[in-house]
Amino acid sequence: MDPDIIVDVIGETCPVPLVEMRKAVLKAEKGKVIEVKGTHPASKQEIPMAVDSLGLKLLKTEESDGIWHIYIRR
Amino acid sequence: MQDRIYMDNSATSQPDPQVVKAMLPYFIEQYAVASSQFSHTPGIQAREGLDQAREIITKKLNAEQESVIFTSGGTESNNLALKGTAWAHQGKKNHLVISKIVHNSVLHSAQWLEKQGFDITYIDVDEQGFIDPDHIREAITNQTILVSVQHANHEVGTIQPVQEIARICQDADTLFHIDACRSFTMLDLNLQTLPADLVSITGHLIHGPKGVGALYIRPGTKIQKWQHGGYHEFDKRAGTENVAGIVGFGKSVELAQQKHVDYIRGLQKQLMDGLIQEIKGTVINGPLDPDKRHPGNVNVSFSRVEGESVVLHLDMKGISVITGSACFSRSLEPSYVMMAMGFSHERAHGSIRFTLSRFNQESEIGRVIRSCNDVVESLRKISPLQ
Repeated sequence: MDPDIIVDVIGETCPVPLVEMRKAVLKAEKGKVIEVKGTHPASKQEIPMAVDSLGLKLLKTEESDGIWHIYIRR
Repeated sequence: MQDRIYMDNSATSQPDPQVVKAMLPYFIEQYAVASSQFSHTPGIQAREGLDQAREIITKKLNAEQESVIFTSGGTESNNLALKGTAWAHQGKKNHLVISKIVHNSVLHSAQWLEKQGFDITYIDVDEQGFIDPDHIREAITNQTILVSVQHANHEVGTIQPVQEIARICQDADTLFHIDACRSFTMLDLNLQTLPADLVSITGHLIHGPKGVGALYIRPGTKIQKWQHGGYHEFDKRAGTENVAGIVGFGKSVELAQQKHVDYIRGLQKQLMDGLIQEIKGTVINGPLDPDKRHPGNVNVSFSRVEGESVVLHLDMKGISVITGSACFSRSLEPSYVMMAMGFSHERAHGSIRFTLSRFNQESEIGRVIRSCNDVVESLRKISPLQ
């Protein structure tokens, strides 16, 4: 999946991944795909919660080598 | 996305449309500098707008003529109250008394004065944020210039016993300053019966504009002018007056009514009761007695969750509130108010402040409680805190 925007929060802990994800969502145009990639386990669970609250579409979540990738459609 | 619910009215409030309407002519037609009766007509008209606002505010405080000067807001009023009185007494007295939970504009002014050689006594508060007036009495010496207390606290809403503290200061011949930025028009503030010498107030917390406040100075109070230039504001504060802002401030005071306070207190009770009943592990921060709490303030801590996560998730559900958590503050420290109240770091980190106004609807309360419940429940499932 080719994202339009990549939010790299590898190594960051709560609440930074959520804050950066929100920032990207607010800037992105409707229909754009945002990839958030990080390592903090709680954020991996919190970001889908936020996607739901914002009424956005969660496209895919995957993880490899301790790095998770969350794809969201604005 | 549903309509946004704004419950951060202790940070700033929504300007009343009538306030904005009252201000507009002073941007478009009556934009002249407020001038004396010997000046041109537009200047005189601007002066009339300014004088009328001063009269409304003076009347609301039941204060003396020419005792209210306009400033750029509560922060400037607090700075002037502390620094102005300290410098006016320099060389004769050198001591000030403040509580530990005053607003930063008082706290940092006092800390700055400390660096200039003044002595400051910081008064403790109890676990609900109350000052013991006896502690003020014990702290006052023959060197004390001023005692400064916040009428209603900005974070937890604690209403201080200002009447009793005022009497103590009066008996000790010490100036008494009240930061009433959160309480003005919400709580009784009658300067004929309350012997305060200085009172700070601001417009934007009562549905007026930002960038305008005022300082009441009891006639005869020695205060050093801090901002130099012209002879504005009875020669106590130089600078061209923000006429449009001042007119808006006056209008916001004129619009304030007791029925709004009663309405807000009703919302406060519904929200506080609902959060306690619906969400296990919720504790109230600040006074438990509603009569001793600012009518618009609800501050709670949810156990096992971080405040900033709650705030972010509520924001994404369209609800604006804030937290006393460290990550949320620009200082990266947990709320100094809550630390002074003896709270644990966990309780301060989990604190959420909801501050209500007359523009909040009863229907919003249920949605806020449900959203808090959803967010807290979800966050607890992934919380490392046990």
